[in-house]
Amino acid sequence: MATYDVIVIGTGAGGGMAIKVLCEAGLKVCALNAGRQVDPAKDFRMHRMPYDMKFRGLNSPARRAQSVGYMDNEYVAPDAWEHEIAYSTAEGTSWTWPRSNLVGGKTNFWGRSAARMGEIDFKAASRDGYDVDWPVTYEEIAPYYTRVEEMIGVASTVQNRPSNPDGSYLPPIRFRCMDYILEAGAKKSGVPYLPDRMAQLTQAFAGHPPCHYCGNCTEGCDVGAFFSSPYFFLPLAQATGNLELRTNAIAREILVDSDGRAKGVAYVDRKTRQEVEVYAKAVVAAASCISTAQIMLNSRSSRWPTGIANSSGQVGRNLCDHLYGTSAYGYLPQLLGQPSFPDNVSNGTVAWLPRWQNLDNPSEEKFIRGYSMYPGGGCDEFPSYYDEIEGFGASYKAAIKRIYPTPVSFTVQAPTQRSDKNYVDIDPEKKDTFGTPQVRIHFAWDENTLMMWEHSKQVCEDLFHKMGGEYQGHGDPESPGWSLHETGTCRMGNDPKQFVTNRFGQTHDVPNLYVCDASVLLNCTDKTTTLSLLAFALRTSEYIVQQFKAGTHTSEAPAAG
Amino acid sequence: MAGQGPSRRELLEALGLASAASLFAGFCRWNYAFGEGSAQHGHSQHPVRLAYRLQFFSTDQYRTVEVLAELILPAAHSSAHTVQPGAKEAGVAEFIDFMVFSDPALQGPFRDGLRWLDQASAPANAFRNLPPAVQTAILERLAYKANYREEEKPGQEFFRLIRKYTVTGFYTTRIGLESLDYPGLTFYGTSPGCTHDGNPEHLGL
Repeated sequence: MATYDVIVIGTGAGGGMAIKVLCEAGLKVCALNAGRQVDPAKDFRMHRMPYDMKFRGLNSPARRAQSVGYMDNEYVAPDAWEHEIAYSTAEGTSWTWPRSNLVGGKTNFWGRSAARMGEIDFKAASRDGYDVDWPVTYEEIAPYYTRVEEMIGVASTVQNRPSNPDGSYLPPIRFRCMDYILEAGAKKSGVPYLPDRMAQLTQAFAGHPPCHYCGNCTEGCDVGAFFSSPYFFLPLAQATGNLELRTNAIAREILVDSDGRAKGVAYVDRKTRQEVEVYAKAVVAAASCISTAQIMLNSRSSRWPTGIANSSGQVGRNLCDHLYGTSAYGYLPQLLGQPSFPDNVSNGTVAWLPRWQNLDNPSEEKFIRGYSMYPGGGCDEFPSYYDEIEGFGASYKAAIKRIYPTPVSFTVQAPTQRSDKNYVDIDPEKKDTFGTPQVRIHFAWDENTLMMWEHSKQVCEDLFHKMGGEYQGHGDPESPGWSLHETGTCRMGNDPKQFVTNRFGQTHDVPNLYVCDASVLLNCTDKTTTLSLLAFALRTSEYIVQQFKAGTHTSEAPAAG
Repeated sequence: MAGQGPSRRELLEALGLASAASLFAGFCRWNYAFGEGSAQHGHSQHPVRLAYRLQFFSTDQYRTVEVLAELILPAAHSSAHTVQPGAKEAGVAEFIDFMVFSDPALQGPFRDGLRWLDQASAPANAFRNLPPAVQTAILERLAYKANYREEEKPGQEFFRLIRKYTVTGFYTTRIGLESLDYPGLTFYGTSPGCTHDGNPEHLGL
């Protein structure tokens, strides 16, 4: 039976980073991926027009009924998003859970916004008294952010904002007409309007071609012009000869020896439905926030009766997420009847409104911490405003064309804070189709987040007036889970009684078990999570290499059979 | 991050499909309804129009749908020689037929709506056979809130339904997207930016 140095569960952002770093350091790695290999030529259909698709991009009724969100559409392979592995939600919880188990996971389709977190996030508790500080300083993490940016390529500008440390950037995506109008309005409103941090290659970078601006990034990229694990990390790992990638391998349980140390992983082969065991000296869990917690909670043994590395009882707790919603929508009369312009070549987030609340004074607002916003709009693939116009006939058709360049909307990204009410556990009754006990999600928006939502609606309505726009209304918050930014189920901290991992992502209880995904982040802040989890995963991976060099992980493999 | 990208999501949202358990009808594609085979990877081919075989509507129902769709999004004569095609040329009625065929939940509303239009609005004649001016007058009562009549609520709802499907069917075709000068899926070497230097507020364009 083969034995490896390290088993990495998951091949997304965090897993991909671990695989790359460990393989490059000469360690033998077995990577387990819950789904199949990705094939960009077949799986991504981003260059098709609606009329090229059997159902015009909207899927058959059968596929639509099981869709987990807007990215799970006809422009990607039907199994690009997970539909087979069931999960539970507690009574009163609604949770949208888009999981991609293709090799590379969600990095194949991610939104690419990639801002650093800062000292204001890591030391937020010291500022406002809520929850606890992170066990790291910004200064400590900054070099890892820089190195991640140098690996993946992020387009932006230096902005000197207190909540948003600057990094090392490619030239930004250019502002469109709407951006200048919004920027002028934002100035009058006293809110920032700046180029977003986008992991989208505005020039050739590290052997990867520049973006060709087709505008359909969330349906995958066939040339790898934005960061994804299969384009940026896995080939480097493969080239070392140290990687064995097992696909359709759904990790079920982390196996332990008699001392309670990790000795391997039991997984279900999706094809044969048989359980397979694989052994290694160390294990990295990087299955994504909720799945990592599920695997750890399902890893029960006499040494770890409530789940591996869970003596604190904190595995699965402290689930945080971003509330997403359209805080305002309307149109810009300045652009009525203007020629069509390629406004959506970057698939959305050319600009952002980075957090401006509670900066100098942590309690200047009714809520603590802060939120960010992303504007969108302009000439789109579909005139989705059609129902706002009365009538029919030539005048109706002309109105659709006249309004075409003008729609604008703002999406809020508002973080929840740690709460005892938001967590995942194992459903005591239900098992999924592979016989694995299902994870169960308990979640509701907290009052602080809902205050941010209300605040953002007022700010945006004012912004519409200041920019000379016509305000038409606002949406409702999306279902929790929609943002794909869940964090907190294996929080890092110095006290083994309160935290699952130490500040290096190593579990306090089981020294050869590490976590390399967003579950170690204490909360989701107003920033997106991928860049930060990459920085923390890089740090953890190098820490693992040091442990191997120091001879810490030398446990003998169990006898075959 | 997810959810900021407005592009294709807007289409789904406009149709109420963004949530997981939507009940929206199935769509055929413009090419598909005339036979499989042209959905190759990469840029689309010009659609080849073959005879369309009705899958759900009766011939009379289909003619009514065709008339309604063309009334909603008509061909426009921009000059003596140029015609901008409308819903009929874009195959919208065929598209709606396939969609209604694909989704049983839509079949009742369409059947009832078409019947309502014939019975309540034109008792002596089928809607499709009325003079265009009369057809337009009927739709004006259903399309504008100021003209609403309490007893015509089913007709108003049906108008909204068929307008939704007409718009969707039209603007997901090459003809419809060209009518908007849709600027997407065009490849650029650098990101295209605003060219109105010195006029950030874009006043007086």
